[in-house]
Amino acid sequence: MKPNRIFMKGILYDNPVFIQMLGMCPVLAVTNTAFNGFGMGMATTAVLVGSNTVISLIKQFIPSKIRIPSFIVVIATFVTIVGMLLRAYLPALNEALGIFIPLIVVNCLILARAESFASKNSTPGSIIDGLGMGLGFTAALVVLGIVREWLGVGTIFGQAVMWSTFEPARFMSMPPGAFLALGLLLAGFNKIMSKDLNEL
Amino acid sequence: MNISSLFVILISAILVNNFVLSRFLGICPFLGVSKQVETAFGMGMAVTFVMAMASIITYLVQILILDNLGIQYMQTIAFILVIASLVQLVEMIIQKTSPTLYQSLGVFLPLITTNCAVLGLTILNISQDFNMIESIFHAIGAAIGFSLAIVLFAAIRERLELAHVPKAFKGFPIALITASLMSLAFLGFAGLV
Amino acid sequence: MREIIKLGLILLIITSVAGLILGITNDITQEIIQERALEETREALVTLLPEAEEFDIIEEAELLDRRFIQEIYSGSKNGEIVGYTIKVNPQGYDGRIEMLVGISSEGTITGVKIGDHTETPGLGSKIADASYIDQFVDRGTEEEFISTLGGETGEQYIEAISGATVSSDAVVDGVNSARSLFVEELQDR
Repeated sequence: MKPNRIFMKGILYDNPVFIQMLGMCPVLAVTNTAFNGFGMGMATTAVLVGSNTVISLIKQFIPSKIRIPSFIVVIATFVTIVGMLLRAYLPALNEALGIFIPLIVVNCLILARAESFASKNSTPGSIIDGLGMGLGFTAALVVLGIVREWLGVGTIFGQAVMWSTFEPARFMSMPPGAFLALGLLLAGFNKIMSKDLNEL
Repeated sequence: MNISSLFVILISAILVNNFVLSRFLGICPFLGVSKQVETAFGMGMAVTFVMAMASIITYLVQILILDNLGIQYMQTIAFILVIASLVQLVEMIIQKTSPTLYQSLGVFLPLITTNCAVLGLTILNISQDFNMIESIFHAIGAAIGFSLAIVLFAAIRERLELAHVPKAFKGFPIALITASLMSLAFLGFAGLV
Repeated sequence: MREIIKLGLILLIITSVAGLILGITNDITQEIIQERALEETREALVTLLPEAEEFDIIEEAELLDRRFIQEIYSGSKNGEIVGYTIKVNPQGYDGRIEMLVGISSEGTITGVKIGDHTETPGLGSKIADASYIDQFVDRGTEEEFISTLGGETGEQYIEAISGATVSSDAVVDGVNSARSLFVEELQDR
């Protein structure tokens, strides 16, 4: 597979959130603002690229019987490193993402990529796959974050975008708003994709 | 410690800070295994069992090993390995001792390792400074809250199957909007205590 | 059998390498994290006891064993203690509430600052609002504080936030534990 094909698969055709529905907990939990969504997406991308790289490097030394626990240890190591770095250099973001940083370990997306891609492909391919999937995940989080922050607080990335008398719907920043926004976005995505398919 | 604070932990985990609907933990099984009430109930029971066991063991691991050696930074690795091996162990034990139980729960067990509600629960137990008994109450509350949400959701989805839904909304979108309404209903518990 | 030992060994090696890498990263980042935490605490201490010029941590196990007590600092000016800042963590509605209580050496509350907490946004989180938390300012420490919804007035009554009585009670609990530490142990030093 060509590198750009691998990359685009993650961003669009196999988008982890909109198509594969993987790793939904952080998608819903930390997208109350666009910046939090972006931060979570980047943290996940870092872990994904790291674990994909290491797993593709050591794949021939790992017997298949213990591959899942080995993958989990590799992933957990990267998650912990990312957590430490965030705590040291971006404490505000770390606070906002809270428990969802260590929970990147159980993001099904990362284990799924390790199992179905990195353990079968070359290192450069795995890095590109990690980048593509990670950025696809980030894009989905940012889109959801923008919608929720815009309607729930009246800002986008902290910048006021609505007129001064705009009364934000606090509901969108709260848990029910997360489910609703994602449901509507998915329906929109389905509509566009099905149109695309029909025209082909 | 008094009974009322334990009660607050329990009720808060079931209703107010429901793991699925307000903390967003365990969304994957919530969306994935909720097409039928029966399977949802099976998943709920399996999660309950693993949560209770995992809380006790990770609490001991934290106190006896991580805190003792001053290697708290190994928490994530240690806890996920504990949960993974626990799930494996439970699967083997159930398979040997009770084939009927295995038939109903077996398929869900491997899914629990990557259920973030379990790892999330064990991390919350430690970060909130719960002692052993508080952790167990928290686990029971979390498990009941998870089961309650997933079973209710499955019951709604069974009926949804019969409804006419616009094409673009079929499947996950309408499920998410349903979840949104449930979550809204659970917000009503916010001022409970 | 040999198979199992081999598998276990491989897993052990992977985990050890992971542990080593994490240990090194931890050493590097820990220093920065601690420095920042210290800086933040320092800022909070200064706002609670503006009079004091120097802060010293009190590390007596016997005092730190008391209920909810996390950290104790004495603030001094020209070598004389002007007050104490006590970090407490009462059990709130959802998890612990970290807070700092400032008490002057004459026995008045100089201020209360709410730190990390996970109370319900929009309800319990109102404990950090000035309209609630500033009720404590300038109160005496002769009596235990009592959380009330009835509107009773008096030195010891603190009006709770309606709809968030558990969170309010927790804050009062926290201030009370700092108060009793001050009255029973620190005041007569």
